[in-house]
Amino acid sequence: MGGLVVLLVGLLTALMSVVSYYVSPKGNNTSTWQMSLILTFSCCYLLWAITYLAQLHPLEAPSRVLE
Amino acid sequence: MSPSLFRSEEVSLVQLYLPTESARPIMSALGELSTIHFKDLNPDVVAFQRSFVREIRRLTDTERLLRYLHSEIDLNGIHVPDHNLPPSYESVLESSTIEDIIERITRLEARVRQLVESSQLLEARYLQQLEFANVLTKADAFFSKSGNTVDPLRNNYETSSIFSGEDDTTAPLIENALELGTTGTFDSEETSPQMNTTLDFVSGIIPTVKFQFLERILWRTLRGNLFIHQVRADDSLIHGAEKNEEKTIFLVIAHGTQILLRIRKISESLGATLFPVEEDAPGRTSQIQQANVSISDLNAVLENTRSALYTELTFIAEHISAWEAVLHKDKTVFQVMNLFNYDQNHKCLIAEGWCPTANLPMVQKTLRNISDLTDSQAPTILNVVHTSEQPPTYFRVNKFTEGFQSIIDSYGIATYREVNHGIVAIVTFPFLFAIMFGDLGHGAIMASVALMFVLYEKTLGAKKDLDEIVGMVFYGRYIVLLMGLFSMYVGFVYNDLFSKPMSIFSSRWVWPVKSEEAIARAVQVGTYPIGIDPTWHSADNNLLFMNSYKMKLSIILGVIHMTFCLFLSLSNYRFFKRKLDIYAVFVPSLIFLEAIFGYLVITIVYKWCIDWKAKDLQPPSLLNMLILMFLSPGTLEDQLYPGQKYLQVGLVIAALICVPWLLIVKPFVLWRRHSNEENKYQSLNSDLPNVDEADALMAVDSQEKQAEPFELGEVVIHQVIHTIEFCLGCVSHTASYLRLWALSLAHNQLSSVLWNMTLANGFRMTGIVGSIFVVILFGFWFIATCVVLVAMEGTSAMLHSLRLHWVEGMSKHFEGEGYAFTPFTFKVTAE
Repeated sequence: MGGLVVLLVGLLTALMSVVSYYVSPKGNNTSTWQMSLILTFSCCYLLWAITYLAQLHPLEAPSRVLE
Repeated sequence: MSPSLFRSEEVSLVQLYLPTESARPIMSALGELSTIHFKDLNPDVVAFQRSFVREIRRLTDTERLLRYLHSEIDLNGIHVPDHNLPPSYESVLESSTIEDIIERITRLEARVRQLVESSQLLEARYLQQLEFANVLTKADAFFSKSGNTVDPLRNNYETSSIFSGEDDTTAPLIENALELGTTGTFDSEETSPQMNTTLDFVSGIIPTVKFQFLERILWRTLRGNLFIHQVRADDSLIHGAEKNEEKTIFLVIAHGTQILLRIRKISESLGATLFPVEEDAPGRTSQIQQANVSISDLNAVLENTRSALYTELTFIAEHISAWEAVLHKDKTVFQVMNLFNYDQNHKCLIAEGWCPTANLPMVQKTLRNISDLTDSQAPTILNVVHTSEQPPTYFRVNKFTEGFQSIIDSYGIATYREVNHGIVAIVTFPFLFAIMFGDLGHGAIMASVALMFVLYEKTLGAKKDLDEIVGMVFYGRYIVLLMGLFSMYVGFVYNDLFSKPMSIFSSRWVWPVKSEEAIARAVQVGTYPIGIDPTWHSADNNLLFMNSYKMKLSIILGVIHMTFCLFLSLSNYRFFKRKLDIYAVFVPSLIFLEAIFGYLVITIVYKWCIDWKAKDLQPPSLLNMLILMFLSPGTLEDQLYPGQKYLQVGLVIAALICVPWLLIVKPFVLWRRHSNEENKYQSLNSDLPNVDEADALMAVDSQEKQAEPFELGEVVIHQVIHTIEFCLGCVSHTASYLRLWALSLAHNQLSSVLWNMTLANGFRMTGIVGSIFVVILFGFWFIATCVVLVAMEGTSAMLHSLRLHWVEGMSKHFEGEGYAFTPFTFKVTAE
């Protein structure tokens, strides 16, 4: 279940990347827009996915010393 | 392909034939376009032997005159408006216009210099007269107070009695006076008038700091046979003086012509100004009147001169910016024309330069317009020349991409048409910064500051006196903006708001209501959807979890970053059609990197996906796994997944194969190609008797031209270095990415400590005192946050992100053997 969420969001990110490739403003800076948008989506997804996976099945649980 | 930041633009070599009479307007127009990088066609000619040295020297001299005029304008506090010259070239750079401007500047400079010198001379005279009047006034006051000057002997008696007992140096004066008195008593009355006439005085003015030296020297030299009267000069002199120094008026009364002469010399040598003062009161009154008249006259003339100077400078100030701009352009034009060749036969200049291919139509159109405007008889010819020479590297940047490109260019200029890391750095640079700096609050502060710079960029851009730090931040305002925005996102994921957690979604950990054990453990009821669960922030084992998480995050991002850069090198090889480099360099590099560190990343993710507690298994340590993978292939401490043993052995073998692959294949293939070519050459040589001699010679010539010298040793050395650098670099660079974790941890802990030491203490207080302290502590906390956590920590994280790009990332693909495209332009570069 948890892994499936990561894959689904990954697919969504890939879709957004493909869309941004074609939707980028045309002109001298098309490549800049494409590269920047795709890299931004990829980086944001990576950070989110890594954080989510790290908490999926943690080996440690939060603990506190009782007084 | 349309112009793009992904690669440097196509640049063509152009050859220009410029008619001599219209060369200057044409070059002026090209300077406005700023799109041609001219080559130096006279590299062997020394600077002062170039064609237009005389013109440049003349313009330089005129610029020196303008600098003098500018300094005088600044001295007088006159405002210099910016010139509003249009960037058109139609009438500005006409020769007659330039000549007129130069002549005008020369004439005006001479007049201003004359006025300044007259003003200074008059001012000196005026000051001297003021001093003279002051000396006269003080001397007259002194003599009036001392009574009748007819009997100076008596005055001497009276004055000397004042000094008796105060200073031992007055003793000789008293004895001398007594002797004189005694002599007078015994001699007849005829000798008295003679003694009266021998007493005389020297009067003058001297800086107060030097007067004590004068006094001491005179006492010692004359052994006390004198009388000194001193009084402070009026304040008007102090203000009038250039140095604004205090002055003293002195009167020295002594006996004898020789003595007076010595007094005069000593006074003048110490910088005193001596003035003649009449002995009798009517004479002094007359002198004072004359001095005052002179002062009035000089003051009137001085005012007129100053007024004339001010008028002249005001007029010049109106035009000086325009003149400076015009002369700068003309000088720049001549400097670039010195790079050209002069064709005597056709009476034209021949220029060669690099121009972005996309800009050629614009240049052609401009040249056509200039030819029409100047009614030039001969047309300007532009040829595109095909050459094997490597063009300069040109990136078409705008205000947004300029900062990122300069970061990459600081490391090295990309080879012509090489993949540009600048387009990648637009996102990866701020993102890696944010991993280290990530905090929603700190990111918001940084983004706000940068946003202010962006919103007011026109106002700030117009200013030319931004100080060094502010100017640097302004130049990189878009970098800082993206750094701030990415930091906000990463801070949101880290769930850090000034080191405090947010509970936007309900925590997925539940604390037990009661616990019989000494340690309470939370129970997991799900996965926090976005970011770190807030419960971790208050847990005692917070660091244990966060360190593990951020270390793995660093490794994963690092390996992905390196892999991405490695694929950029593939893009390069494909573009330049270097198939050998693809399978001899790229493929083994990729396999080596992924067999070891890519595998590590996959195992990290796999380990996260398995529910180890449900299986009641102890997961293996990945670091130990990686080490044992090489030290003891085929041996496992704990199994991570089925078939791990065989896969790891395979990966080790693959990685080990790639090292000789990377090392040997390329030199071997190049050597074999070279051998084949040599064999062809020999076979051609052996067939010589059977082929026509002319055809054989042509074949040999063409082959020799095309063949480049092949150095096997050089190729081998290069490949050895590359192999060692890459293989060892993979290990050290992966470890280097752990700085992402280290800086992130340091930043978070520092922020937490600051909070605990300031506002947290304030919140524990109660009552009015507590309220006051909260306000005070908030101010301290906020200032420390901005100065230390945002400014200093931000700079540190930025430098580390820079290193991760320059070394870890760009070493995977960057060649950097290009040279910058520097167009001929009139924009003044900041020095």
